[in-house]
Amino acid sequence: MSAANATAGSPPLTVDALRCEGLTKAFQGVHAVNGAAFEVPEGKITALIGPNGAGKTTVVNILSGAMSSDSGRVFLGDTEITNWPAYKIARQGLLRTFQLSRELGGLTVLENLLAAPAVQAGDSLVNVLFRPGLVRRQERENAERALELLEVYRLYRHRDTRARELSGGQKKLLEIARAVMASPKLLLLDEPMAGVNPALIEVIGEYILDLKRSGVTVMMIEHNLGIVEKICDHVVVLAEGRTLATGSMSELRSNTAVVSAYLGEVINAGAAH
Amino acid sequence: MSLFWLSVGFGLVTASVLSIASIGLSLQFGITNYVNFAYGDFMALGAFFTYVFNNQVLHFNIWIAMVIGSLLVGAFAVIVNRYLLGPFARRFQTTHYVLIVTFGLSLVMLNLIYSIWGADVRFYSMPIASALSIGPLRLTVTQLVVIGIAALMIGSIHLVLQRTRLGKSMRAMSDNTTLAMTSGIDTKRITTLTWFLSGSMAGLAGTVLGISEGNLTPASGELFLFVIFAAVILGGIGSIYGAMGGAIIIGLATEISAAFIDPAYKLDIAFIALIITLLIRPNGLIARPGTA
Amino acid sequence: MLYYVFTLVFFLFDYFILAMGLNIQYGATGILNFAYIGFVAVGAYMTGVAGMPSNITGQHYILGLGLPFPLNTLFGGLSAMAMAVIVALITLRRLRTDYLAIVLISLSLVLYDFCNNFVPLFNGADGLYNVPAPLTKALGLNVNSFIVVFACVTGVVALILWFVMARVTNAPLGRSLRAIRDDSTVAGALGKDVFRMQLKSMLIGSFYAGIGGGLLIQFGGSFNPTAWLPGETFVVFAVLIVGGAGNNIGMFVGALLVETLLIHLPAFLPEIPGHPGLIEYIDSALVGIVLMVMLWTRPQGIVPERVRRAVTFGVPDRPEIDARELGSAEVLGAPVAAATEGAK
Ligand SMILES: Nc1ncnc2c1ncn2[C@@H]1O[C@H](COP(=O)(O)OP(=O)(O)OP(=O)(O)O)[C@@H](O)[C@H]1O
Ligand SMILES: [Mg+2]
Repeated sequence: MSAANATAGSPPLTVDALRCEGLTKAFQGVHAVNGAAFEVPEGKITALIGPNGAGKTTVVNILSGAMSSDSGRVFLGDTEITNWPAYKIARQGLLRTFQLSRELGGLTVLENLLAAPAVQAGDSLVNVLFRPGLVRRQERENAERALELLEVYRLYRHRDTRARELSGGQKKLLEIARAVMASPKLLLLDEPMAGVNPALIEVIGEYILDLKRSGVTVMMIEHNLGIVEKICDHVVVLAEGRTLATGSMSELRSNTAVVSAYLGEVINAGAAH
Repeated sequence: MSLFWLSVGFGLVTASVLSIASIGLSLQFGITNYVNFAYGDFMALGAFFTYVFNNQVLHFNIWIAMVIGSLLVGAFAVIVNRYLLGPFARRFQTTHYVLIVTFGLSLVMLNLIYSIWGADVRFYSMPIASALSIGPLRLTVTQLVVIGIAALMIGSIHLVLQRTRLGKSMRAMSDNTTLAMTSGIDTKRITTLTWFLSGSMAGLAGTVLGISEGNLTPASGELFLFVIFAAVILGGIGSIYGAMGGAIIIGLATEISAAFIDPAYKLDIAFIALIITLLIRPNGLIARPGTA
Repeated sequence: MLYYVFTLVFFLFDYFILAMGLNIQYGATGILNFAYIGFVAVGAYMTGVAGMPSNITGQHYILGLGLPFPLNTLFGGLSAMAMAVIVALITLRRLRTDYLAIVLISLSLVLYDFCNNFVPLFNGADGLYNVPAPLTKALGLNVNSFIVVFACVTGVVALILWFVMARVTNAPLGRSLRAIRDDSTVAGALGKDVFRMQLKSMLIGSFYAGIGGGLLIQFGGSFNPTAWLPGETFVVFAVLIVGGAGNNIGMFVGALLVETLLIHLPAFLPEIPGHPGLIEYIDSALVGIVLMVMLWTRPQGIVPERVRRAVTFGVPDRPEIDARELGSAEVLGAPVAAATEGAK
């Protein structure tokens, strides 16, 4: 990421995987998102930071189609996906996780992963009834891949456990593994490390770097600026529903306007970690 | 006198019964956030409790029996909440379970009412009422009393909600239960009182329905429940004032249409109103945030 | 005696079919279909009129196609599916659980009320009668042997439908439905078209409802509107909850315990003199009480939903990974091994 990118007016040097402009969303008069606009560069890890209640989760909800925006536009690559239903966006390769883990509680851990690939032969009644061989073959392939992922994410041992019985940290891992199983091009992670022990934070950081290495574009919401500094290439600062600044972590810290206006304490506190 | 004005008269009576019943259902929904599918059977229970005091023991005057019958259903509702619905609602995350339980409760209550009082059509013992003309309307004294009771109930519920601490707590709880709890409202007490009010209103509505229809059967409350649903959804579920408005619209609409189509299709008219409301304004005519 | 036993056998299998249909809707997909009996009624009525010739006088009914068994029954199943499409389009997309329950239960009552009143089309409260008993002519059956044969036919139909349902619920389709049941937002975020899936579930379930209804009307020979009051839906829910929501075998167990033993066996008891219908009333109340007790003490039912283990997907078990994970459980800081190959 070049420093020029932070200067207003100069063209971005990288391709954008995702771009949004002028997003707004109000809940009964509360403007949760109020004109947010930013880009997510392809092949990089972007952090979306900002104080509690800044509207980060709401932005992710809008980008992933879980909520419709009041106004604004979203582009995934060259395709405008503004207010598409969630399932269509997911089928374009944009996957997301949830801040509070939302496991499919009645399904086993393995089944949570098996449910992830959006298009499966066995979702069609005709195939189920008349092409059982095809369905079974695809199931076995998916199961093999899912078990490999579970091995990586250290959940193999719990493959036959119903997901509602997992611990909080294990649910966090499952949340990521499930999204990865869906073969994302772009992954939006909502606080993937919140509430897990420090050792596991390191591990999850490694997972995210691995994803980047394998070509996945990642955007993650994160409050821990130490982590952001360590693994993210690009940062978007959101405050009161607006994009306050974008750039690398060091650029942001030298951006006195941003620091004095809003993030002074936060960034310095983060740097102290 | 024209058929139209005759049906308006009936419509006002139905609207009166309906508004009492709808307020009771809405009060409870606002606080607990699930629908009580046994509400119609609470009504039937009230009608039969009144019948007992009116015809079987003590032989009270119908209006006195009505008050006793209603209060007894209120007490019954408190017990049902305490030992059945409350525990289910607290234990399970989804509302599915408690909805199924109220559905089951309705079956149990209906069949117990049948077991005790049988399937025969019964009548309250009350004086034959004379008819009065009021403008273009012609109503019996009994019908006027029914309308008066409804007006009295609407007025007092309004006062309770706006002026008393209980009412303010109830409104706070129906807006946001957790917030109400953290701001020091004794939610348990309010819930109990709400069930008592809701049950009493159901009992009252059941009796008044029996009086206005001239007879009572165990299943009449259950059938009426679906008209209540139409009124409540029209007004926006959980909204008390919406329920009153919805009751008046549905009451008039069903009776006036009955005069011109066929009274047998009253329910269908109410149902069509319900579907149209849901398609056009799913939050009800008076939109209330966070309820749809 | 034989007559009674096979009547019970018939109801066992028929309610097994009905419960499987509700099970895919509620047990698998989480759709609280309080109008289920309405779909059964549509299936029953349409089977009746599809099977009856057009020239019976004294009754008002539509169609009168004179279709032989099992085509008439199939027609009933398809009709129930058609109704499911309409209902789903109006309600599923826009309503949250309690609104949906209200609308569906109201729909169920209004259907009853409409049939009960509208003589020109549905013959009003008289319903249909003299619905042809299938196979009697072809096999030369009398009243008693018809019961035996038809109970067995129903058993065969139930087994076929069970085989199909087991396939569906074990397939990715069934898993997607269960994903929607557990959290429809997550299912959507994973690319599942939630509405389409719910519609599929409604359609499959309604087909079962229609077939079960079609068999019922042919067994009894008549269609009486009062048999389809909303409370009847509750009986199917009781079968489902007692048997175990989400488990197809559970539906058989539930049908056996609730429908056969709890509901139909007491019907053979003699009436208590002076109290007509008392036994039936108490029995119906008992069904409600049994369901509540079950829901409280054992909400998963007698035969709980299966855990679909990894080995059932045809992959080898690798206990060495288990052991490694167990061993390293406390050293989570260790570097991550291979890159996440699964990711694109
Ligand atoms: N569904 C909703 N209904 C009403 N208000 C909402 C809803 N979702 C979010 N809000 C409000 O919108 C604002 C932004 O919320 P959001 O969850 O997007 O913040 P956030 O940046 O993710 O915060 P955090 O870091 O605490 O997760 C908050 O004031 C919140 O109360
Ligand atoms: Mg958030």
